Amino acid sequence: MFKNYLKIAWRSLKKQAFFTFLNTFGLAIGMAGALIISLYIYDELSYDKMFANADRIYRIDSDIKFGGAEIKAGEAAAPMAETLKRDYPQVEAAVRFRTIGSAYVKKVGGNRSAKENHITYADSTVFEFFGIDLLAGDAKTALTGTNSLVLTKTAAEKHFGSTDVIGQNLLLDNTDTYTVTGVIEDMPKNSYFNDYSVFLAMAGNVASREDNWGGNNYFTFIKLIPGAKAEDFQEPLQGMLERYMLPWSQKYFPGMTAESFAASGNYIRYHTMPLTDIHLHSDKNSEMSATSSIQNIYILSFIGLFLIILASVNFMNLSTAHSLKRAKEVGVRKTLGSNKLNLVFQFLTESGLIAFVSLLAALLITLVVLPFFNSFTGKSIEIPFTQPLFWFALLGATMLLGLLSGSYPAFFMSRFTPVKTLKGNSSESVGNGRVRNALVIFQFSISVFLIISTLVVFQQLNYIQNKDLGFSKDQVLLINELGALGSKTKAFKEQIANMGFVESATLSNYYPTPSWRSDTSFFEEGSRDQESAIQMQEWDVDTDYLKTMEMELVAGRDFNPAYTSDSTAIIINEATLPILNVTAEEALGMRISEEIDQENPTYYTIIGVVKDFHYRTLRTNIDALGMHLNSNAQNMAVRMSGGNYADNIAAIENTWNTMAPGQPFDYRFMDEAFNTTYEAEQKLSQIFFIFTMLSIFIACLGLFGLAAFNAEKRTKEIGVRKVLGATVSQISYRLTVDFLKLVGVAILISLPVGWYVMNKWLEDFSYRIEIGVGVFLLAAVLAIIVAILTVSYQSIKAAIVNPVKSLRSE
Amino acid sequence: MLLQLRNIFKWVQQGGQRVFLLKDINLEVQEGEFISIMGPSGSGKSTLLNVIGMLDTFDEGEYDFLNESVHTLKEKYRSNLYKEYIGFVFQSYHLLDDLTVEENLEMPLLYKKIKGSERKALVADMLDRFNIVGKKDLFPTQLSGGQQQLVGVARALIANPKLILADEPTGNLNSQQSEEIMQLFKKLNEEEGVTIIQVTHSEKNAEYGSRIINLLDGRQI
Repeated sequence: MFKNYLKIAWRSLKKQAFFTFLNTFGLAIGMAGALIISLYIYDELSYDKMFANADRIYRIDSDIKFGGAEIKAGEAAAPMAETLKRDYPQVEAAVRFRTIGSAYVKKVGGNRSAKENHITYADSTVFEFFGIDLLAGDAKTALTGTNSLVLTKTAAEKHFGSTDVIGQNLLLDNTDTYTVTGVIEDMPKNSYFNDYSVFLAMAGNVASREDNWGGNNYFTFIKLIPGAKAEDFQEPLQGMLERYMLPWSQKYFPGMTAESFAASGNYIRYHTMPLTDIHLHSDKNSEMSATSSIQNIYILSFIGLFLIILASVNFMNLSTAHSLKRAKEVGVRKTLGSNKLNLVFQFLTESGLIAFVSLLAALLITLVVLPFFNSFTGKSIEIPFTQPLFWFALLGATMLLGLLSGSYPAFFMSRFTPVKTLKGNSSESVGNGRVRNALVIFQFSISVFLIISTLVVFQQLNYIQNKDLGFSKDQVLLINELGALGSKTKAFKEQIANMGFVESATLSNYYPTPSWRSDTSFFEEGSRDQESAIQMQEWDVDTDYLKTMEMELVAGRDFNPAYTSDSTAIIINEATLPILNVTAEEALGMRISEEIDQENPTYYTIIGVVKDFHYRTLRTNIDALGMHLNSNAQNMAVRMSGGNYADNIAAIENTWNTMAPGQPFDYRFMDEAFNTTYEAEQKLSQIFFIFTMLSIFIACLGLFGLAAFNAEKRTKEIGVRKVLGATVSQISYRLTVDFLKLVGVAILISLPVGWYVMNKWLEDFSYRIEIGVGVFLLAAVLAIIVAILTVSYQSIKAAIVNPVKSLRSE
Repeated sequence: MLLQLRNIFKWVQQGGQRVFLLKDINLEVQEGEFISIMGPSGSGKSTLLNVIGMLDTFDEGEYDFLNESVHTLKEKYRSNLYKEYIGFVFQSYHLLDDLTVEENLEMPLLYKKIKGSERKALVADMLDRFNIVGKKDLFPTQLSGGQQQLVGVARALIANPKLILADEPTGNLNSQQSEEIMQLFKKLNEEEGVTIIQVTHSEKNAEYGSRIINLLDGRQI
């Protein structure tokens, strides 16, 4: 019987080639979209699971509130790791990382430097801890010597052209020499450490051995013994505050107790973060490498689900619509002895067949699209063809999809009665299409909602990119790694500043783009208790900084190179004023210091107040910030007045090459650097855009099919109308308007939903747009235009048919 | 006795009034009869045939089929009954366009869950009997009307029913094709004892039968 079902299914699908194509195509696109999203999500969820005993590994996080600032650190104090291991038997092992960013790496004796972007100090136990095998070298001893380092395979090949490099020497930033003591495979792409290519022995980091509980600079991982529960460890962990942190801080704040610390409203909260949760659940101010957010996983899951539902709905719609043609068949089969169940099975076989053909097409589409998707997301996702589980899930999902999509049409059609369908007035049997209309409304609601979302995301991004940031990021070149110039840094700056196309240049490591940051506690003159601490950014700049960044002063003056007293001057931002509890004018002349523990602290005198500028993402508020002079900098910003960028850069590089021969010239534009802050949003908007297009496309396929069906069903009516004198435009208008009503209802449904959801999304941003009426109007108009374009072809085609033809039958 | 209708009424509500489709029909059919139902358009011929075939229900009266009271049976048993004992022939043949002649013939056997080998034998037998072996792999649209109806009759017969119901079986055929189909019916009735009830407009076709029932406005006359 099943063979027979299959045979019949195949033939009837072949016969209705057009509908089969629409069905298969829509389903295949939906499935491909969902498949890609699933693979992506699977990859995101697989982060760090490959490490040995990953389920027992936790990171020690520190949430800190001190001096008006709140910091969520993924790092802990240097002695934390060793102390935890010593004090608590449930801690089996601990390991620390101290990241140092990027450096230029050169083979000793070689003349070519190449940049490594992710370098970290690591405790010598790191390989054992994470179960990482060394391709060469000894895991236990590789990172014990002061100047030893371990490279990944890729890094080794990059610098030496081979992986047989044990004992070779490398020069970092032209200053420190290291000996290669080990080579490891590249870190898995789906791991928290994926970017890291150079691991330096922690022994070379002097601060790592100091008993300093104040700075939180070490990414600290602990491994609990089997059976130990993380939730039972939170209290002992928090005990570290009273046992070690507070006693240590009494050096600086004599008499500070747990009570007084708590009473001041400040806190330090330690807790554990499971290694495997970091990628999706960690929201720390600093991370070893970029993390994602579970939010994105949810959004993507919804989109994937939407796609599948849209395609499935299409299927139901087209199938039931098409039942007009199948009604007679159902009638005949019933008189031949078929019961309902037989018919249900037969129709389900058809939908199953379509689902499987769609699956093949979807796999093909996925194969083609995946490389683009990978380069876009920076992942290396593959279809896991060799995994039985994948096939099991895929086939299962396909079967389920076929059953679900096929069930409504199957039960719908198997209900037809022979008496009605065999008489020929079968249009009755296909019903009045209430369910079909509801399905169309549903599809378009989703599409309109996605259009609204896309528009809002685009608008917000646009807003971010064009917002008055308090500084000007355009036409500014950032030149990095000035260390290569040695003592000639200032001379280099002078030369550049004197070039015709340069407005001004400044030396600083601190920029309102991702760059160095440093948080410090300042104290007002005469006040020494911790409650009056002013937690603020402390930036080292030079006298040309404000000019080059085009920042405005709201009170006071800029640094002046002619005043030697300006070496102890500070310029604060407006956000600092409420903490000092003064106006901008009153702040001028106040003195603050960060050296609370000294007898005679150095005071900085406030000489100016700069208008608030955004130095973090627009997700967060602007916090207190102070700038003082210090021209020891590795970076330089150059504001250009115009001219040809390529020529300008070439001229600067020329100067660089004469002053730092053989050293790489590393630069980037400030606006590009700025944009990296919003990479996540940009990707989100692109993903939205792509999947919105897909969902609209699928919805249109369905609408197109329905319009074709509708025109067919009304052939007779159209013929009669034409005989009675209706024009082509009147008839196509009639046919089109019916569908537009549905789209109208869909718009009414999706507007409030879109408004609500997108407002929720915007709440993440401290600085955001208001969703205007324009967005909704545009979404509505777009949906209507798309619907008209889709439907009108069929409507006009039906309207121009000669009535003699349509009325001749019967 | 094959079947008996007693005081059968069937009506629809139209504008608050009952419009009778069948009014007090009494009919007794013995096995081996060949009955023709005649009457003008709208007189209720097809409705009566559908009621007999259990494809349609009635509102009042009693209907016994092979000593089963059809009017008290649940829908499911009723359909089992007609599937077992009744074969249908239609004016517009109603062959399944996607299936070949052979597969069309096989269809009722599949629904009866008859085994593959037996199915093959029965189909081959029927093809042979109707002289359409050469056409077995053709699709209905490749056949003439007469040939299609021949397949239609063969399909109705293949499950070995006790009763054949034919709704204007020659309505779409030319006179020569009509003649052939009617001859076939006559032969089936006389030589194989198949009971046949046909609806027809044509006096000439009605003559093939052993008895004529005339309907007017749902009433026997």
